[in-house]
Amino acid sequence: MNTLSKTKSSKSVLALGLLFAFSFSEIAVAADKKIPRSEGKPDFSGIWQTTSAADFDLEPHSNRKNTPPSAGIIEGGLIPYLPDAYAKKQKNFEDREKLDPALKGYTLGVPRSVYYPEPFQIFQRKQDLTLVHQFGHSVRTIYTNGTPHPEDPNDWWLGDSRGHWEGDTLVVDVKHFNDKTWLDKAGNFHSDAFHVVEKWAFLDANTIEYKATIEDPKVYSYPWNIGVILHRHREKDFQLIEDYRFTLDYDEFYPPKQ
Amino acid sequence: MKKNVLKHYLGVSGLAFFAVVFLPQIGQAADTNKAKTKQKKPAEQGNGGGGIPREKSFPKISSEKWTGARLADGQPDISGFWSNTIGNHGNFTDPQGGVINDPNPNRIPKGARADRAPSRVSDPIDGQVPFQPWALDKVKEFQVKFHDPTTQNFVEPLARCAPGGVPKSLYWHGYEIKQYPNYVVFFFDSGTRIIHLDDKPNLPSKIKLWNGDSRGHWEGNTLVVDVSNHNGKALFGRSGEFISENGHVEEHYIFNKENTRYNYEAVFNDSTVYTQPFTVTIPARRWTVADKADGWNFDVWFAKDSAGKTTVEHEERICTENNGGFGLGAV
Repeated sequence: MNTLSKTKSSKSVLALGLLFAFSFSEIAVAADKKIPRSEGKPDFSGIWQTTSAADFDLEPHSNRKNTPPSAGIIEGGLIPYLPDAYAKKQKNFEDREKLDPALKGYTLGVPRSVYYPEPFQIFQRKQDLTLVHQFGHSVRTIYTNGTPHPEDPNDWWLGDSRGHWEGDTLVVDVKHFNDKTWLDKAGNFHSDAFHVVEKWAFLDANTIEYKATIEDPKVYSYPWNIGVILHRHREKDFQLIEDYRFTLDYDEFYPPKQ
Repeated sequence: MKKNVLKHYLGVSGLAFFAVVFLPQIGQAADTNKAKTKQKKPAEQGNGGGGIPREKSFPKISSEKWTGARLADGQPDISGFWSNTIGNHGNFTDPQGGVINDPNPNRIPKGARADRAPSRVSDPIDGQVPFQPWALDKVKEFQVKFHDPTTQNFVEPLARCAPGGVPKSLYWHGYEIKQYPNYVVFFFDSGTRIIHLDDKPNLPSKIKLWNGDSRGHWEGNTLVVDVSNHNGKALFGRSGEFISENGHVEEHYIFNKENTRYNYEAVFNDSTVYTQPFTVTIPARRWTVADKADGWNFDVWFAKDSAGKTTVEHEERICTENNGGFGLGAV
């Protein structure tokens, strides 16, 4: 139990009296035990994956060939594109079978790497969380040691992630992106002014609620929010299997054969 | 908008180690590009790209009890930044001998073989991989055609951003090891290797991987790792040695008392390619905040955490997305 919830529950104890206090603190302790913890913080270590259809299209859509229907994952339903950006999105959508960077096996970026339909593993220490994505075996480090974003670095495919804890929620500020990744298979996109604030919180020991606020003044008229649920892989002996998709074009040439 | 100025990938990494040392003008060209960024990059913090020091010999480390720090789960705490100490992937059996059959005349005399670091093949004592005749023919052919590849199989796959695999990843750029309950994870610039310390079974044999499938455990100061499920595609370097998808590797990472070095000693076994098992030895050293970043073995920058402590950070590990390969000529 962390200090904050301890303080809260002791206030409740005083307010409600001894009789109730006993049962209430029991509930508080039980709730607290439900999620794994490490160094006093929620411990997200494990292998995670969404069951949502987010990667097909973040926005609400009917079924299409090779695409299941979905109500989308955007609060308010649609991405608030600026007019020119909307035209580009439509063009991306038309050419999505050719232009989607994921088709080349490229690193998916943030937040797409979180809701892409392949597992990723979180390795957590006090000072950082390291996310290894099966797709491309891309690696993202979320620093939780109080280090700031570097000043004016290169633009990165996965951006630069700096996290801190607000109670039991991991809040991650991600910026310094390039403009080369897409948000989904439907051609939703961003520029290098892209900025994502993620919130990671347990719903229960095997479920994470992932929310993100997305802004990009070059592409969207105002910030917008998404949310997906991530489920823990609990299959026996489940493990990531490296998926360096981009090597498939030349796989056949190695090794030498007798 | 800042373009990725990856001198690292487009420049230095595309060249053999000897080119880095003996062709300083190339290093300077790369530095000009890099100067466009304000961020302190490794060479600015470090030794200015003036060459990468390499050892000609290294100490033996014995397997024994671990007396150093441990993590909460009981593992010896060997987390941190590491690199090999003798040379890169230009030549597997003569690590400081340059690329075999290299037509580039800009070389200083290398001297006698005995004056350079020993072969990474430590057993048999001739230092050569005991290839079956057909496999040796393939390797010799690669060593010639590598310099002017007429078909794709003569391109060294790391030049196309393929994962370095086992063992090549250990003697390319420096890398970071992080440890967690049930895991030791290697973060290479050429891919990620997750060593499972629990007793889960290997993946089905039909699944073949660039880095293989690794199961490990600690014996005192030694991390013992069993590697199977190789796809055999990574090659051991620009000298073209290889293992097949039937191969099996038993690795020992033996750490010294001071936790400053380890030696990798691994037995490679593959009855479809080799005439007998052989042992590969690769020395490695630790890098810390007390060291200067050098743009290769310790390609990092430093930050300050909330307690004012200096921490080490690394560029995101991206290759195929940024360019077509590491190579600038021969790859």
